Amino acid sequence: MSVALSVSELTKEFPGVKALDQLSFSLEEGTVHSLCGENGAGKSTLIKCISGIWPSSTYKGQINVFGDEAKFSGISDSEKAGVAVIYQELALVEDMTIAENIFLGREPKKGFLVDWNKMYDDSKNILKEYNLDLNPSDLVGDLGVGQQQLVEIVKALSKNAKILLLDEPTAALTDSEVKILIDIVSDLKKRNISCIYISHRLEEVLEISDHITVIRDGQSISTKSRKEWTYDSVVSAMVGREITNLYPRKKSTVGSSLIEVEGLSAEGFSNSHLALTEISFEVRKGEVLGFGGLMGAGRSELLMNLFHGVGDRSKGKVVLKEKAYDSPSAKESISRGLIMVTEDRKRFGLVLDESIAFNLSLSHLKTFVNAGLVDGNKEMTANADFAKKLKVKAPDLSVSVGSLSGGNQQKVVLGKALMTEPDIVFLDEPTRGIDVGAKVEVYELINQLTEAGKAVVLVSSEMPELLGMSDRILILSAGKIAGEFDPTKSTQEDLLEAAMKFS
Amino acid sequence: MNKEMSIRDFTMIMVLGLIWIFFYNQNPEFIGSRNLSNLAIELSIISVLALGMLVVLLTGEIDLSVGSGVGLLGGIACVLIFNYSWPAWAAMLAALAVAVVLWSSMGVLITSFQVPSFIITLGGLLIFKGLFWMVINSQTVSVSKGGEQNLLSMLTTFSFSTIVSFVLLAGVCFALFVSMQKRRKMQKEYGFESLPYERDYLKVFIICQLLLLMTLVLTQFRGVPLSLVILGVAATVIYILTKHTAFGRYLYAIGGNKEAAVISGIPVQKIMCFSYVILGCFVALTGFMQAAYQGSSTTTVGELMELDAIAACVIGGTSLKGGRGSVGGVIIGALIMTSLLNGMTLMAVSPENKLIARGSVLVLAVWLDVFFAKKKK
Ligand SMILES: Nc1ncnc2c1ncn2[C@@H]1O[C@H](COP(=O)(O)OP(=O)(O)OP(=O)(O)O)[C@@H](O)[C@H]1O
Ligand SMILES: [Mg+2]
Repeated sequence: MSVALSVSELTKEFPGVKALDQLSFSLEEGTVHSLCGENGAGKSTLIKCISGIWPSSTYKGQINVFGDEAKFSGISDSEKAGVAVIYQELALVEDMTIAENIFLGREPKKGFLVDWNKMYDDSKNILKEYNLDLNPSDLVGDLGVGQQQLVEIVKALSKNAKILLLDEPTAALTDSEVKILIDIVSDLKKRNISCIYISHRLEEVLEISDHITVIRDGQSISTKSRKEWTYDSVVSAMVGREITNLYPRKKSTVGSSLIEVEGLSAEGFSNSHLALTEISFEVRKGEVLGFGGLMGAGRSELLMNLFHGVGDRSKGKVVLKEKAYDSPSAKESISRGLIMVTEDRKRFGLVLDESIAFNLSLSHLKTFVNAGLVDGNKEMTANADFAKKLKVKAPDLSVSVGSLSGGNQQKVVLGKALMTEPDIVFLDEPTRGIDVGAKVEVYELINQLTEAGKAVVLVSSEMPELLGMSDRILILSAGKIAGEFDPTKSTQEDLLEAAMKFS
Repeated sequence: MNKEMSIRDFTMIMVLGLIWIFFYNQNPEFIGSRNLSNLAIELSIISVLALGMLVVLLTGEIDLSVGSGVGLLGGIACVLIFNYSWPAWAAMLAALAVAVVLWSSMGVLITSFQVPSFIITLGGLLIFKGLFWMVINSQTVSVSKGGEQNLLSMLTTFSFSTIVSFVLLAGVCFALFVSMQKRRKMQKEYGFESLPYERDYLKVFIICQLLLLMTLVLTQFRGVPLSLVILGVAATVIYILTKHTAFGRYLYAIGGNKEAAVISGIPVQKIMCFSYVILGCFVALTGFMQAAYQGSSTTTVGELMELDAIAACVIGGTSLKGGRGSVGGVIIGALIMTSLLNGMTLMAVSPENKLIARGSVLVLAVWLDVFFAKKKK
């Protein structure tokens, strides 16, 4: 078999960090080669070097594509060479249709005018070829994140890409969407397309890879074929130590009720089909309540409605710490001890251009104010404490959050929420895109919270996480509660069945 | 990020140096103490307006009405003094109250009714201009009755005597030194690393030297103008407001990522509204200073000043998208703008060419903004 892509002795430095350190590896044609590593190991940086986002002048080392030395100075160069990248952050125009997005920048033309018929016809064929049941004239903005991700992949493939770089393509997908994606990727092998695949979901990595390379601190630790790896060996190669318990939930004593929701109905969300109907539940001190369901079932919307009044509530009563709480705002919620960690951290969670310190203390600045002025030293001490507690990996707290790896960004969002000293914490997909080691750290944080008598509401699309970390599980399906489960007595199939109940 | 900013700031200081060398070459009188005194006053006027503008730009909004506002508020003060014989302080307070009312209503329209600030303030530009002409009856109204000095006219005509100037200078240097010491002490108390003592000391020392040089030059003519002291106070206030208060932090957060700001529990609408009120107050102050500088209020006062203020901000590294900008940068930007205007006046450049030059600088500044924003990515 020939080599599609090879990288030798790649070194890439940022001020204060060596993101890649003499890294070498090669991708064989028609195979899927996965990269595993902790947050900040350098995976995304490697992808950015290969795709030309970091021009060849900014790193040391050599990259060869189909035998030729590649000196890309931008994405357009790598595209020409047949390399396409799929990012976790989508690069689609939401106000355009699927077809328009697929052909963006290379619209079929008839004379000077766009040939719309050909464009929609071609799109339809391409979608069919990859077994996607989507209408090319639908707006991309109306699709779920998962479907958008699939459109993005199809778009790349339609450009005749020979090498596909997928950087955490499934981080935002539900299990069923992951299945479709895995099918597409497996299908690619038959078309002799080669893939580099990055994901923190190791089950899926083990399922689709031919080879796996583990990266730690910018260095390649080991490359072996799939058969020679096991789940545990990948994990210990990644973190450099054994992890004995992936879901270390410690039950705490359950106390009085902190939030009670009764018969809540609401609609008017950005996903206009969704209506929350007659939702009732209660969360008590020291408890983790898990929320499961398919994407679009209304889990995030429910939390957002409770936390800061997104959508129009038509019915229902909410009691927060024994006091009625009917017209919530983020400010009020935070001052009453309720905090939410949103799922889309880039959009809702962080001010990316600002420093770690700026973001950490943003929700909690009031406590550092002294005679009208922010006491910078007091703030810095608190920030430094939190950063240490959460093990944020960065040269110092003044670097901008935008330059951190995904997992470390997530830790900053968590730290920001916990700094407000909440009693109830809503966590919406808190471990999305973070590595196994960091996940366990987040779980331990959850344990600490419940031990201290706080309550946690955990929304997750990862069934094992939901089963492993919740004390009780509620499944939402199309905006309605489809059942309550005891995680010790339920299986993934039970949860999945309930999740499809009303859809 | 910090590094990038300082490269940019450094470039701007170089540009400023080139401008000064150019004008000095054309006419050595450019750095004469008389002209520099004028320049200092012009700088103060534009800077005060630009500092107010900074507060609004940080949130990612804009205000096009400030030029007309400068005319209107200065006009109101003049009319009250000249036609109604009010004492200057009362006239200025009244105009300030009008500013607060006008700018808070614009703030409410922008935040509560979600009308883009560009549109609201464009309306403001026209409405305020109309009101202005109505107030002064489209005539020229002097800042003081019978040419005698009053608080308003003194804003730009008064200069501190040599002795007072040096006492002021000593006070400022002392304050700088003390605040540095205090910061270092606090840092030590909390166990943080601080810059080596020599570097901190050198920084303060260089700033004091520059201030000393400036004072020496200015006292050659009439002394340190009051307006420069006003600028110093205004800059300190805005600096503390933006860098050391929760309010300031929120301005940056809103401009950087509005949705994240909402989720973080920041009262976004209130903060934005208040940023307009602050700007309104600075517009009023600028209005008084500008009227005083011109000696009277006429229909053209304040014209195009909104563009000078925005240009000063952008040249100084403020992003029109919000979330980025600093007091130091704005003052450098204002210094570049005023040096250009002042130098061209000194060279007797025709008004047509002056307009074209101003426009080109503005475009260049915005292009720079885009260029640096791209480079950052
Ligand atoms: N633009 C940048 N400026 C400065 N440092 C950067 C930049 N991009 C990445 N880094 C640093 O380089 C290191 C590698 O980051 P990278 O994003 O490649 O990690 P990753 O393996 O993709 O992690 P994750 O799994 O969290 O996505 C990190 O320490 C990160 O902080
Ligand atoms: Mg990454």
